[in-house]
Amino acid sequence: MGRRVAVVGAGMTRFVRRAQETGKELAWEAARAALGSCELTLDDIDAVCLTSAPDAFDGVHKKGEYLSEGAGAWGKPCIRTYVGGGSGVFAGIQAWYTVASGMADIALVVAEEKMSSTQPHPQGAFLTIFDSVLERPLGPNLLWIFALEMNRYMSVHGLDKRDIAAVAVKNKRNASGHPSALLGQAEITVEDVLASETLAWPVQRLDVSPISDGAVALVVASEDVAERITDRPVWIQGVGWNLDTAYWTNRDLVFPEYVANAARMAYDMAGVTEPRKQIDVAEPYDPFDYKELHHLEGLLLFDRGKAPEAARDGVLEREGDLPSCPSGGLLGVGNPIAAAGLMKLAELFWQLRGEAGARQVPGSPERGVAQAWGDLMQVGTVVVMGVDEHRRASGAAVSNPPAEPAGRGLSEPEFRSAVGAVEHAVDARYEWDAGVAVGRFLDGLREGRILGRSCQGCERVLVPPRMFCERCFRPTDAWVEVEATGTVQTYSVCHVAWDMRPLDAPELPAVIAIDGSDGGFLHVLGEVDAADVTVGMAVEAVWKHVGERQGSILDIAYFRPRRGV
Amino acid sequence: MLERISRPAEVRRWPGSIPVGHRYTPGRAGEVFFTALRDGGVLLGARCSHCDLVYAPARAFCERCFSELTPDTEVGPGGELLSFTIAFAHVNGDPLDVPVTYGLVRLDGADTVFLHVVLDAGDEPLEIGERVQAVLKPEADRTASILDVEGFRPERSDD
Repeated sequence: MGRRVAVVGAGMTRFVRRAQETGKELAWEAARAALGSCELTLDDIDAVCLTSAPDAFDGVHKKGEYLSEGAGAWGKPCIRTYVGGGSGVFAGIQAWYTVASGMADIALVVAEEKMSSTQPHPQGAFLTIFDSVLERPLGPNLLWIFALEMNRYMSVHGLDKRDIAAVAVKNKRNASGHPSALLGQAEITVEDVLASETLAWPVQRLDVSPISDGAVALVVASEDVAERITDRPVWIQGVGWNLDTAYWTNRDLVFPEYVANAARMAYDMAGVTEPRKQIDVAEPYDPFDYKELHHLEGLLLFDRGKAPEAARDGVLEREGDLPSCPSGGLLGVGNPIAAAGLMKLAELFWQLRGEAGARQVPGSPERGVAQAWGDLMQVGTVVVMGVDEHRRASGAAVSNPPAEPAGRGLSEPEFRSAVGAVEHAVDARYEWDAGVAVGRFLDGLREGRILGRSCQGCERVLVPPRMFCERCFRPTDAWVEVEATGTVQTYSVCHVAWDMRPLDAPELPAVIAIDGSDGGFLHVLGEVDAADVTVGMAVEAVWKHVGERQGSILDIAYFRPRRGV
Repeated sequence: MLERISRPAEVRRWPGSIPVGHRYTPGRAGEVFFTALRDGGVLLGARCSHCDLVYAPARAFCERCFSELTPDTEVGPGGELLSFTIAFAHVNGDPLDVPVTYGLVRLDGADTVFLHVVLDAGDEPLEIGERVQAVLKPEADRTASILDVEGFRPERSDD
């Protein structure tokens, strides 16, 4: 599997709400900190691996090119990779194959995000993650998919919200020892989380990581070079990545199969056969508290539905049996998306070298796993890192990142009155057409019928329909009319719009599994009190009057509890 | 397997947009550059002594060697026109009432190139390599914006 590859240096800025620095300046601060940590200069770097999440956050089209000079890419081979929220960990994978292949001996890895530029709220940039024809007419916001996944996870396993809130508490407390942290809170309690504002039930304000700016960088080297740079290289022992279907309403949201697939790939490469015994420290992706638990299960570190009780029982604490997010994670340090993912690799580097200062997990950990997740809840990226037995940390005096990392946060008034600030809107408008399969589906809705496509290969009836089966990769076979009834797979009670303004009346988004099909779609519930909705409830479509139908997903006004059931 | 569309006018289209705007702050070096432009009427660059390069406008770091830079090197206001173009159409394709000339100028003392408007080109055609001078707005009208520079005027038009 190519040459052995090690991380030999790491650096990061402070994570802040509104950075004074430009994105380029943040990237440069992190990159020079990483280079400085292993006493290299830009001249030593053969290639640059760069990542940053949506262009819309920094408001720069082709953000990779914009950031390149801050990432040290002048005159060097450089490419920006991007897999949504999975990008930060994927950058480590990119660096691994860049070096393992022999293309470069030393690579600089840089991840940057500046979300504060986006007005009025970065969620606006996320709205196009939803299907333009089938989902956006419903007025979704990004919180919906998290709330829907969280509710399904809680409902299927019968979980107590307190056990999930324990993750937010752990991470914000862990972050209080992190010099780069935005939201370290040593005194926070589960009661604080449960008392915070409900955004989209079951998601509350303190279940969610904050909007942040920041950058992180690593230096990665081939084995022979790494041994010359440091006497304590941290090896990239395994990498894995995997993508599930974008038809997210066709998946059972209770388990992240794509994370498990990525983990198996990384563990196989690392020779890890019993992850729970062979992994000493974990940095799973935690943009929401339940996601850390969901991902610990996807990483095969806990049985399905069992991670929450581990959180409750202290197993995941820094001194616990399996420390999870000792950095403080996205919930505590902050969530500048791509940078937050790469921070997880930096944290493993520091933990495995014994350089994590106040955050250091006891017992000289030998191997760790980091993971991130993204796209339409469908990508898993996993990296396993470890140190050689004889090089396990023994009370290193160094503490990383240093007590005074670069990066200065502006207050809201400073941001609003900053010298030389300018504002622009992206005046980009689109017209999407429905395509063949969804076009026919919408024609069906106008006639009061729900149509799917059958696939003889996997014997599924696909709703929403597609002209090809993404599993069998063959044309689907026939149109099938299915029932206009179904069951509630999961639902949320959403109190805020995408820009976080409160709604006059809460919305009830739900994923409806359609009877007679193997799929379903996103819609809203009506004629029911929020308190009476349950997962598994039988529902039926309520159609608009014939004359009002337009061949739109909104031709179904909503789904209501099925009469006579 | 694709179905023929015989009446394309009837294809339903779903309009949409990405509802974001952006507020950009100029960063550490940019703040110093714009403050000096507004308050002092000067154009500041930053010198990298290691690479013997002057970046203008000023930057916080050298992209070649990663040295930290100080935005303290005054450049211009004269410079050399390295290239220019004359725009006759608006970005949306409509014709402009008055064509606008954009130039790339290497300010005196700088190694990098600065994009701005070329003013009062007159009847004589512009020539690449000719001398230009930055024209600033009066101090009272300056707002710490790149538009505090009105543009570059060929030196000959001052004759």
